[in-house]
Amino acid sequence: MTGLGGPLFPIPTGSLLALGALLFCIGLFGALTRKNLIIVLVSIELMLNAANINLVTFSRLGVNPSLSGQVFSLFTITVAAAEIAVGLALLLAIFRLRRSSEVQDLNVHKW
Amino acid sequence: MNFVWNGPMIAFYVLALSVLGAGILMLSVRKVVYMALSIGGVFIGAAGIYILLGAEFVAVAQILIYVGAITILMMFAIMLTNHKAEEEPFRWTVRNATAAVGSVLLALVLLAVIRSTTWPVQSANLNLNGGNSNPVAIGLVMFKQYAFPFELVSLVLIVGLVGAVILAQERKEEE
Amino acid sequence: MVEYAWLAPVLPLVGYVFLLALGRRAAEGLVAGVSVILTFLSFLVSLAVFTALGAHPDVTGTYTMRWLTLGAHSIDVGFQVTHLNALMLVVVSAVSTLVFLFSKGYMHKDERFPVFYQYLNLFVFSMMALVVSPNLLQLYIFWEMVGLCSYLLIGFWYFKPEAALAAKKSFIVTRLGDVGLFIGIILLFLSSGSFDYSTVFQAATTGHLGLSWITPADLTTLTGILVFVGAAGKSAQFPLHVWLPDAMEGPTPVSALIHAATMVAAGVYLVARMYPLFVASGTALTVVAWVGGITALLGALIALTQRDIKRVIAYSTISQLGYMMMGLGVGAYAYGMFHLFTHAFFKALLFLAAGSVIHAVDTQDLFEMGGLGKKMRITQWTFLFGALSLSGVFPWAGFWSKDSIINATLQSGHMTLFWIAEIAAFCTAFYIFRVYFLTFHGKPRDESKMAHAHEGSWVMTVPLIILAVMAFIAGLFNTGLNNFGLQRYLMADSPTGLIGKVYPDNVPLMIISVTVALVGIGLAALMYWKPVISAEKLARNLSGLYRLSFNKFYLDEIYYGVVVWTGKLIAGIVDFFDRYILDLIVRMLGRLGYMGGVGLKYTQTGQVQTYSVIAFFGIMILLAIAMFHVGGVF
Repeated sequence: MTGLGGPLFPIPTGSLLALGALLFCIGLFGALTRKNLIIVLVSIELMLNAANINLVTFSRLGVNPSLSGQVFSLFTITVAAAEIAVGLALLLAIFRLRRSSEVQDLNVHKW
Repeated sequence: MNFVWNGPMIAFYVLALSVLGAGILMLSVRKVVYMALSIGGVFIGAAGIYILLGAEFVAVAQILIYVGAITILMMFAIMLTNHKAEEEPFRWTVRNATAAVGSVLLALVLLAVIRSTTWPVQSANLNLNGGNSNPVAIGLVMFKQYAFPFELVSLVLIVGLVGAVILAQERKEEE
Repeated sequence: MVEYAWLAPVLPLVGYVFLLALGRRAAEGLVAGVSVILTFLSFLVSLAVFTALGAHPDVTGTYTMRWLTLGAHSIDVGFQVTHLNALMLVVVSAVSTLVFLFSKGYMHKDERFPVFYQYLNLFVFSMMALVVSPNLLQLYIFWEMVGLCSYLLIGFWYFKPEAALAAKKSFIVTRLGDVGLFIGIILLFLSSGSFDYSTVFQAATTGHLGLSWITPADLTTLTGILVFVGAAGKSAQFPLHVWLPDAMEGPTPVSALIHAATMVAAGVYLVARMYPLFVASGTALTVVAWVGGITALLGALIALTQRDIKRVIAYSTISQLGYMMMGLGVGAYAYGMFHLFTHAFFKALLFLAAGSVIHAVDTQDLFEMGGLGKKMRITQWTFLFGALSLSGVFPWAGFWSKDSIINATLQSGHMTLFWIAEIAAFCTAFYIFRVYFLTFHGKPRDESKMAHAHEGSWVMTVPLIILAVMAFIAGLFNTGLNNFGLQRYLMADSPTGLIGKVYPDNVPLMIISVTVALVGIGLAALMYWKPVISAEKLARNLSGLYRLSFNKFYLDEIYYGVVVWTGKLIAGIVDFFDRYILDLIVRMLGRLGYMGGVGLKYTQTGQVQTYSVIAFFGIMILLAIAMFHVGGVF
């Protein structure tokens, strides 16, 4: 077992996917119930992380295993970074406008 | 599923439990600052799991971007807005109950699906990196096979950056 | 030449389009000049067609092209030239030209001068196109168009409430007739399968005009009467005559052109055009004769007492149109049209002369005029010619044509109608000379109005003189002098005798008629010129009859009571139905949507997380369906 492309630890795929699934559900629950806009954003990050774990897991499976899964997880991380930057900028703008960072105050579309 | 009790497996379970624990902690603490800190635990744990999976570059990127940048960015955001904000205690409203039941159901369904599927066993001597170190291999793949998506992603970053600046800057007419 | 007959209607249309392009600020001289020239060209074309037909009676023709094909039927558009059409073309274009010229003076300085000429041009186009229509559908289209022009021109001074009301009245009353005409046309189409005159007549005369629910003979009568209802509306026959006197609110040239010479004659023309249909049904002809006779008498009686100069002439028009209808009804086709021909000239003349008077003294009340003869020599003389012609004094035009009709009435055995005609003739002579004496003789009753009275410019006097000449000589076109040229000309349309009879001159009757007319004139002279008999005393002695006549036999009031009240009743019922039944349903539907909206708006909380929960729950449901219904997941 070497770190440089040698044989890898045979961690069971099911366990990894279960971890991803649970992490995803935690993130989902947080995104749906938390009041603070920042925590909602964080929860979304959590869901993205769960997806990343799945991607990295899957990169070792299949007929032709390759690094594509890892590259995709890198792309996801990049997009997540952009997302969080824009999201937080929006948060700041909204906070300036409404003096609040709570989701329930963003109700301009209310009847 | 035969359970192998060796070092990497112990490490995996410890990491997995800590990731889930940090996630649950995030949902259970009240202060927003603590929430943001506990999410850092999730990110670090996930990075450990990447290392266990042989994705060292992804793990380093995870630590740099998520732990180093995003968590800190969030701390700044919290400080700039309402840093004393506290989450209200969880209440069993219809909405929250629906969300909880739905999430649990989804988790159960996913777990059931994962359990009922036969996953291929990883070959022990899989050579993903083609003899190179993992970052070298990723670099080769990224700049050969995924050159165009790479450029697109950089464009997304630029747009996100500019957009964030424009959104966050204070405007005269709002005063 | 005949194949160029389409030019006659098209030239005024060109004028209309041209004036429309010029706009409302165009110079009066240009507008009137172009109109007069184009109408005059149209007149020349009409005259050429007329003479071409006279030289070669067999060159009448129909020029059409296919417009629509409906299953086995087809509808054509085009034009048709017959002797009758050619005569009408000449009459319409001749009177139009003169009226156009006259209007230049009469409408001078009117704010909407170019618009007036636009309407007139459109009218002349419609009228001529109506005349040359080769089938009933095309005729109906132009029939409505002349109605529209009449409406526009009566209401030309729409800022006068009376004018606007009169325009509306004329439109609605003639519409009553038009409905009859339209039903008649539809029935004819359904039963004969064509709108073409020839096909319809063929079916009517051979008894093939049939529908399943009616015998051919009855259908012929029914359609004949329905067509006549349309004609009665247009030609102001009793009881649809009430619109014509009110139509005098329009400018006087309009009265002369549309409500004396041309459009009101369209009803007479229609009956003449459809004559084979009427001949096929004796009943329809009898109806035409009697309605014509009653109208002739009624119009003459009402005209006796009216104070408004134009209304007298309007009732006179109604009366004379009644004569024409009566002539057609008793089988004297050629004489009815002959009277139409002469009447067009002398009635247009009377109207234009009246217009000249009105233009000079700015009033229409006979009892505010008087003594105008000294100041308006030409108007006086031309009016006198028109009056003599109308009265039927030898040898003016009206004498020949009216006497022909009376003669035909007598010789065809309609004794009652003959007496009606003679009484009406007496009244005619009386009322028109009452107008003449009140207007031109005696002392001025209103000095202030007299003071600035003067003859109009040449554009007004020249048409008067030309018309006066025509009112004098038009009758000679159908006398022994030219071997009765006009009636031979008209009868050439149908050599088989399908279109009525002609009768030899009846000299004793002529003498009687002229005597009757002269007695009427003499009575008028005694009452209004050299007042030997007091008109007031006579009116008082016969106050019942006087009031009956003065109030137009209360027909307007009866109309108001019956037609308007019925209309209001129906409108009320419909209104109730609309308001409380239809609207209720509609409002319920609207309320339903509103309630739905009110109910559903509460789902729009503006809470992103609520939306997400709902969407998530929906996904879960879909997942459940996928698992348990579609299967295959576990």
